[in-house]
Amino acid sequence: MSGKNAKSTTLARQERSFLRFTVGQRWEHAILLLSGLVLLLTGLPQKYREFSISQDLLSTPEQIFLIRQVHHIAAIVLSLLVMYHVGRILVLMSRRRLPGDLLPTMQDLRDAWHMLQYLLFLRKDKPRFGRYNFEQKVTYWVVFFSVAIMGISGLIIWFPVQMTQVLPGGVVPAAKLAHSTESVALAIFIVIWHIYHVHIERLNLSMFTGRLSEEELRTFHEKEYQRLANQSGEMK
Amino acid sequence: MTPRTFHRQLFWLIVAGVSTVLVSLSLVVSPASAKPPTQETVKYCLSCHGNPTLSTTLPSGETLSLYIAQDDLNHSVHSNVGIECEACHNDISEYPHPAIQFQTKRELSLSYYQTCEKCHSSNYEKTQDSMHAQAAAAGNENAPVCTDCHGAHDVRPPDEPRSLISVTCEQCHSEIVKTYRESVHGAALMKDENPDVPVCTTCHGVHNIQDPRTSQFRVAEPELCAGCHADPQLMGKYGLSSDVYDIYKRSWHGVDVSVYKARWPTIWHDSAVCSDCHGIHDIRSTGDPASKVNEKNLLSTCQQCHPTAGPNWTDAWTGHNEISLERTPFLFYVEKFYGSFTPFVLWACVIYVILQIVRATVDRVRSSRP
Repeated sequence: MSGKNAKSTTLARQERSFLRFTVGQRWEHAILLLSGLVLLLTGLPQKYREFSISQDLLSTPEQIFLIRQVHHIAAIVLSLLVMYHVGRILVLMSRRRLPGDLLPTMQDLRDAWHMLQYLLFLRKDKPRFGRYNFEQKVTYWVVFFSVAIMGISGLIIWFPVQMTQVLPGGVVPAAKLAHSTESVALAIFIVIWHIYHVHIERLNLSMFTGRLSEEELRTFHEKEYQRLANQSGEMK
Repeated sequence: MTPRTFHRQLFWLIVAGVSTVLVSLSLVVSPASAKPPTQETVKYCLSCHGNPTLSTTLPSGETLSLYIAQDDLNHSVHSNVGIECEACHNDISEYPHPAIQFQTKRELSLSYYQTCEKCHSSNYEKTQDSMHAQAAAAGNENAPVCTDCHGAHDVRPPDEPRSLISVTCEQCHSEIVKTYRESVHGAALMKDENPDVPVCTTCHGVHNIQDPRTSQFRVAEPELCAGCHADPQLMGKYGLSSDVYDIYKRSWHGVDVSVYKARWPTIWHDSAVCSDCHGIHDIRSTGDPASKVNEKNLLSTCQQCHPTAGPNWTDAWTGHNEISLERTPFLFYVEKFYGSFTPFVLWACVIYVILQIVRATVDRVRSSRP
């Protein structure tokens, strides 16, 4: 219903759009997407070596080393990205300029409860969201912690001998289990949660275009729209 | 009664009497002639060869004893089924014998053993593919032939008692057999003829013994050990776990080896197989302080391949054990986490998205109706 209206109004008049993601954030997402994809594609055949398709891919011992090297390079790229991302957070925090929009709040729990009632036909209205709704916060934090687990466990199984000079030996098989299980869990999560929400439920390409239309912002992030409207009102 | 009829009767009486004597004679004699001629041949041959001092000198200067002990023949599997001297000595059919053509004793053995093929063709062919045959082809005239392991005149069941097999191999491989006898397998064999432990031929094969130093042998080794060590009944007898092979297959080493076995059996690789850690002929119980995988020696065993590994390293090896809180706490909690929390989160996501799809579909259907 709203989708239809939004489309027609978008076509009807040139609509205002709002900056949602900076160029830097979009690059971060693109690098995360690419490095993650490379890591997944080079990791799966190593995890599921008993499958003949993996063995076709790893068709020579040299191929195994190549795939492992690609995996390691992508891991370094992702690690640099994480360092940049966390470093930027720390810098912004020190300047007290970190926007707290992504932090989970009690309101998210209330929104989730509200949404659940709506989905179960117990309420007719959807919750009104701020800049990021709880679905998007869940996406961010699941990916955040998954990447942290993958990074730490990956480092342990990449340098097991060095790591056990300091860490207890038991972390090595634990890291191996965590690394391979977390990767698949994250991949499943991305497919059912993230892909559904940004491609199937509605096509939301703001992470690539950087912008949300006024209609989209008003429909899906009403509180944020109101805040921005008030802000611009005050500015005037 | 006329004298003529009397004579006729007498004639028939004599015929009957003579035939009776002949028939009964033949009955008495025939069991003797139905006996295999073996004993006769053996007896005939032993009339000379039963003399312990009978010998001849070969052109090489070696003294060839020509004495055949009756006792050896009595215990031979062949004599008891009526296989006689000339079955193998098929070049000798008369006395005096033709002159001996062989220069050395070895030459004689290498010639006569070929007659084994007449009856034992399948095993004979197998030996032709063996490592021993390769050694022979490479010019080693001491490479074993049938008679070196089985004997010549005293061929007996080769595994009665079972420990006899190791004695046979020991004739040449004395160092290895000595080591083997001190191993957990060898000791059990020597002590009470244990029927379960591997003897030389269990792992190396019997007639077609292959080179155990090849990469093919190496990648197949875990399966070889698994033949016994994955058998719950057999392992249960000795209080050993039969899961060791399955757990190994899931381990880093095991996965590596399985890929090499499937794809590149001829390419050498260093990922550990059973014998790299447990030893080969010197396998000992893990509780034995001399065992390579005993707690005290484990680190130095790991360092064979991981030279810079520190003392914490051995805990990284789960030791063919299932995950447990006591032994592998880190692994235990990680597995618990991925067995409970992660599936919970993923299922919650699935259910949430399904509810969203249902709600969106219902809304769409409702709004399409006027």
